[in-house]
Amino acid sequence: MIDAKKLEAELMNLPEGWIVLLETSAENALEAGLAAIKILTDKNYYFIVISASRPCSNLLSLYEKNSIDSGKITVIDCVCKSQNLNVKDSSNVLHLESVSALNDISISIGKIIGKIKGNKFICIDSVTTMLIHNKPDVFARFIHSVLTKMRINEISGLLLSLESETNKEVRAEIAQLCDKIIRI
Amino acid sequence: MIKKIEKSLETAIKKHKTGTVIMMELPAEAYFEANSATVKLLTGKGFEGVYVSFHRPFKSISSMLKQEGVNINKLIFVDVASALGGEIQEKTPRCVHISPEIDIDELVRAIYTSLDRLEGKKFVFVDSLTTMALYKPLSETMRFSEFLMLTVRKDKEKVLLVFNVAKDLAQKKFIQDIALHADEVVNVVK
Repeated sequence: MIDAKKLEAELMNLPEGWIVLLETSAENALEAGLAAIKILTDKNYYFIVISASRPCSNLLSLYEKNSIDSGKITVIDCVCKSQNLNVKDSSNVLHLESVSALNDISISIGKIIGKIKGNKFICIDSVTTMLIHNKPDVFARFIHSVLTKMRINEISGLLLSLESETNKEVRAEIAQLCDKIIRI
Repeated sequence: MIKKIEKSLETAIKKHKTGTVIMMELPAEAYFEANSATVKLLTGKGFEGVYVSFHRPFKSISSMLKQEGVNINKLIFVDVASALGGEIQEKTPRCVHISPEIDIDELVRAIYTSLDRLEGKKFVFVDSLTTMALYKPLSETMRFSEFLMLTVRKDKEKVLLVFNVAKDLAQKKFIQDIALHADEVVNVVK
């Protein structure tokens, strides 16, 4: 069980445009991720989720079960096509080839943020999973590039990471780019 | 943490008569907090500085420093982050933009000419050499750091050069090579 009150307090007090690294255990990762999305969509943020861990159908089902308005979410699904599933994009799901398609992910983010008005949050779920499929220095460059794009467009960010599962050096490279680290 | 930074900076400034090179090893969890504290301390002590930003584009870093109470009118920013990210950079008098290729000679020239625009006591602040090393060969990162160290040490005015590195990255060989040539290595604990 996560400390939901602590998470809410931390997220509610974030200045606009801040980028947060949310570190949690493997057991709490799902609960923490869903709680964070619920808190922020309730605060009227539009969420763009880069999903490296779960296919879109599973995510959207989880959002529904947790009363998260999927009308406020776009999922960039990096899982389905990599499993050779025959999938189609929809109004709130964009399928990419794989978690390693970092250029495509970056381009997709750029296209999506241009179409959405209002306050936005980009969530990377999860840093740890993406590192399994990408070389550390390449991934660190990708994170730096995406975070720069977000800052220029004044978009807030949430990077989910499994504490103690992420390589220490890559974790340091990413943590120093973030404005706050929350441990739940 | 802030007291430690203040004490270390004061010691370094008093100890060295000519240009001083400081490497600060910072906790990754409080990296920006430590950076803003250092810059605030230096500008508060009458220094004007060149902030070489690899981490955040100008708009973001200037706004965040301002929120932390830093007088950004005492700073000129070199916006490497936007160049690295391939983003269009806004034109502003307090910011020097460089080309996306991140040519080391151009970067050093940008820093050097920015220093000439400053008055009184000066510093150069590099938020992260390791982020530079993600994009450039190690030889270029080393060349950059050597150029900067040479620049501050041969300058007749006393210029302070501050390199920052996350603690967990401080054991990288190239960082240790640079630390060997620094006048002070400050280990900051949160």
